[in-house]
Amino acid sequence: MTALTTQDDEYAQLRQRMADTDPEIRRIALMDMTDSEDEEVAEPLLIDALRDADAGVRAQAAAALEGYESVAVVAALLEALDDCAESVRAAAALSLGELKDSALGPVLLAALSTSSGYAKAAIFRALRELRVQESLAPALSAIADNSAEVRQAAVGVLGYLRDPSALVALSLVATADTDAAVRRTAVGALGFASVLSDVFPALIKALRDDFWQVREEAATTLGKLGAVEAIAHLIGTLRDDYWQVRIKATRSLGRLKSRAAVPAVSEALFHEVSNLRKEAAVALG
Amino acid sequence: MTYAMNRLTVPVTVDEEKCIAAKGCTVCVDVCPLDVLAIDPIKGTAYMKFDECWYCMPCEKDCPTGAVQVDIPYLLR
Amino acid sequence: MDTIEIEVDVLVIGGGTAGPMAAAKAKEKNPALRVMVMEKANVKRSGAISMGMDGLNNAVIPGHATPEQYVKEITVANDGIVNQKTVMEYATSSFAMIQELDSWGVKFEKDETGDYAVKKVHHIGTYVLPMPEGHNMKKVLYRQLKKRRVDITNRLMATRLLLDEHGAIAGAMAVDSRTADFHVIRAKTVILATGAAGRLGMPSSGYLFGTYENPTNAGDGYSLAYHAGAELSGIECFQINPLIKDYNGPSCAYVTGPFGGYTANANGDRFIECDYWSGQMMMEFYKELEGGNGPVFLKMNHLAEETISTIEEILHSNERPSRGRFHEGRGLDYRSGMVEMHISEIGLCSGHSGSGVWVNERAETTVPGLYAAGDLACVPHNYMLGAFVYGKLAGESAAEYCATHALAAIDGKQVEQERERVWGPLGVVDGLPPSQVEYKLRRMVNDYLQPPKVTRKMEIGLQRFAEIRADLGRLSAADPHELMRAMEIHAILDCAEMAARASLYRKESRWGLYHYRVDYPEKNDKDWFVHVQVKKAADGAMSCFTRSIEPYLVALDEEEKTAYQKLRIAKEPAAA
Repeated sequence: MTALTTQDDEYAQLRQRMADTDPEIRRIALMDMTDSEDEEVAEPLLIDALRDADAGVRAQAAAALEGYESVAVVAALLEALDDCAESVRAAAALSLGELKDSALGPVLLAALSTSSGYAKAAIFRALRELRVQESLAPALSAIADNSAEVRQAAVGVLGYLRDPSALVALSLVATADTDAAVRRTAVGALGFASVLSDVFPALIKALRDDFWQVREEAATTLGKLGAVEAIAHLIGTLRDDYWQVRIKATRSLGRLKSRAAVPAVSEALFHEVSNLRKEAAVALG
Repeated sequence: MTYAMNRLTVPVTVDEEKCIAAKGCTVCVDVCPLDVLAIDPIKGTAYMKFDECWYCMPCEKDCPTGAVQVDIPYLLR
Repeated sequence: MDTIEIEVDVLVIGGGTAGPMAAAKAKEKNPALRVMVMEKANVKRSGAISMGMDGLNNAVIPGHATPEQYVKEITVANDGIVNQKTVMEYATSSFAMIQELDSWGVKFEKDETGDYAVKKVHHIGTYVLPMPEGHNMKKVLYRQLKKRRVDITNRLMATRLLLDEHGAIAGAMAVDSRTADFHVIRAKTVILATGAAGRLGMPSSGYLFGTYENPTNAGDGYSLAYHAGAELSGIECFQINPLIKDYNGPSCAYVTGPFGGYTANANGDRFIECDYWSGQMMMEFYKELEGGNGPVFLKMNHLAEETISTIEEILHSNERPSRGRFHEGRGLDYRSGMVEMHISEIGLCSGHSGSGVWVNERAETTVPGLYAAGDLACVPHNYMLGAFVYGKLAGESAAEYCATHALAAIDGKQVEQERERVWGPLGVVDGLPPSQVEYKLRRMVNDYLQPPKVTRKMEIGLQRFAEIRADLGRLSAADPHELMRAMEIHAILDCAEMAARASLYRKESRWGLYHYRVDYPEKNDKDWFVHVQVKKAADGAMSCFTRSIEPYLVALDEEEKTAYQKLRIAKEPAAA
């Protein structure tokens, strides 16, 4: 039977094991502590362990800090984003990505100016769910970053923020970014627009993107936005080279309840891929 | 009653070089839902004691040193 | 071997999905309560979701589905035999539960603006919310238990519930699978969250632990509830699932479906309209498997490379991650081949079908102070999210019960009797090894209970079960681990007998393959539009009786009623 109550001697023993010269013993102690100790007790010890000499211990500590939400933890994890070991950086990025408390936004934002590349992308990914208004400006400027990873994470922030003032920039990214994954993310982010005309040209252009996953996302987003103005374009997309894209266009035309599309959608009932036949039947029904 | 002894291959294997059970680690033993793993008190390493594996993998995923390997049980392979 | 006594207010048996939620919510309702989760394995990695879950199958999210729609869908999927109140309670609470889990750190798929990315798999509505990063479920739950200071005991198997002189809950008894210590837990309330009866049938591989369900879920809770005098319901509505052949895990249609994968016959043709698991779907699957177009496959080789990589990443990191290793061993690549599927062994599981301990919309069983949630509580097609919702309801109801009830006195006779039963196998020096008895029992389950159900066969099955029951006293255990297996056999046997008796009692066919009786091949609403209940009668015998179906909250029209009867694709239009 393991009870979660803290015993003083157990705690002393744990402290001792955490100071052991053998990194593996320190690591096991760290795991035991994560299981048994209250967060208030564990937090400072885990933060200390982030500065351990051994990368295995540091990575373990960074992973164990998932779900801890305090300024001290966030500051320590931000520091770990620059760790020399890749495993530590990755674990720190994942734990930062779990943050839910928007009060921690300022700590993350403050670290943006001095970070770049992997770390910067990780910070934007952490900011996304927090939806703090102050991330608007840095995200807008980061869509011109050299790193595609950073641009994609910044676009993610803008999509979640749903601030209409970002739509112009997002439209530009959706149609002109050099990286297909970034364009796809931006196309999806346009789905929060409340005025269709703000994003219509970009989405129509994205329907003709070179990459099928961008076209797929555009067809889906037009359906989500209830863009009846796009019906003719979506009917055109029913002839896309990729049946996957045609499915999304079919689904969106179904959502838009377009009568004009009935003949073109009906043709899909005879397509060789049954997924498309099924989707067409659903759209018509 | 007399009992027969049958030999069985087991799906979970532990790299004794990597296993740190001797230092107090019991992660794989703890996380196994079927409780099929144990620590050999003489060798100080973990091993599969009971042939009752669901090939669910927490032992492998949670092992801090990558010592545990889960294969699909032979009967299912 | 010692006897250890513990005293708590709320005892939660089972630390998988519903259990941790129940404990967290009881504590939230009243932080002063002593709440303990008792787990047979280890709470960190136990239960059906030990490696996480790849998606919600039944998310009722505003804008995508309404509670009324969902209640209809499940009423139809479960062939009309539902207490709609319980399903409605789930449906109206499910969105708030998703949001709460989200706030705890469970990751659901969202689109680029943060809206939930719900997908359509069911026949009528849209309820599937993927969780491509759903592998951290247990970690999240464990954190919540720690935060709320819930006590946890691991490696304890509950064997019987304790009752007071009025038949209300007084606690539970358990055995430690590492030390064989006997535990007597005094409690005001007990919440059963022990999961499915997954070790009932035997997988066709013959490997006892290669079950669809986590084999730790041996049906302990069904047996605990039965012996405490609770009503169980829909036991004849077996769980049978379409699985990857030999591997015996899901493939899984909910994951691959939204990406374009589907169930196909040997010709690569789709033969069912909808891959959502139901008895009707399993019937078509069975027919195709046994017919000239079999075997049945999961087809993905028509998908784009990018899509397949995504599917692989999800399937090989969640729920049953060893799937990838299995396919690799056989040289199967989703890009070129199709995944051969077959039919699982039978089990009891309300999470997937409808067999469980009878509960109302407050998660109350028919025994005062006893609550049930998750796969073992009869709320049809409840899945993981239903386990969370009913876990919450059970926790809150139990906390309320504690406010007005004192701890009941422990009846020494019950304790003495149970300790004797539990420790029995340790004293049998020259007896039957549990593995052998279990193998025989579960083979008999396959031989006599696997649908199509035949009256005479089930009657013979009952005879065989009675013979094995007579052998129970000869079970011997060499160590505490074997002792746990021996006690599990007692529970499996109870489940097997309930499955046979309930199946014999319902003299019609219903739920497609789940209750296909060749002697009564038609559905008969005139006589059998009722729940079939199983209960331990006053004389100790197993009794079956009917319970009428409460008036529906949401009426069905004729077309909706038969929607799941028309799953077979009539005739595919010729390819262009």
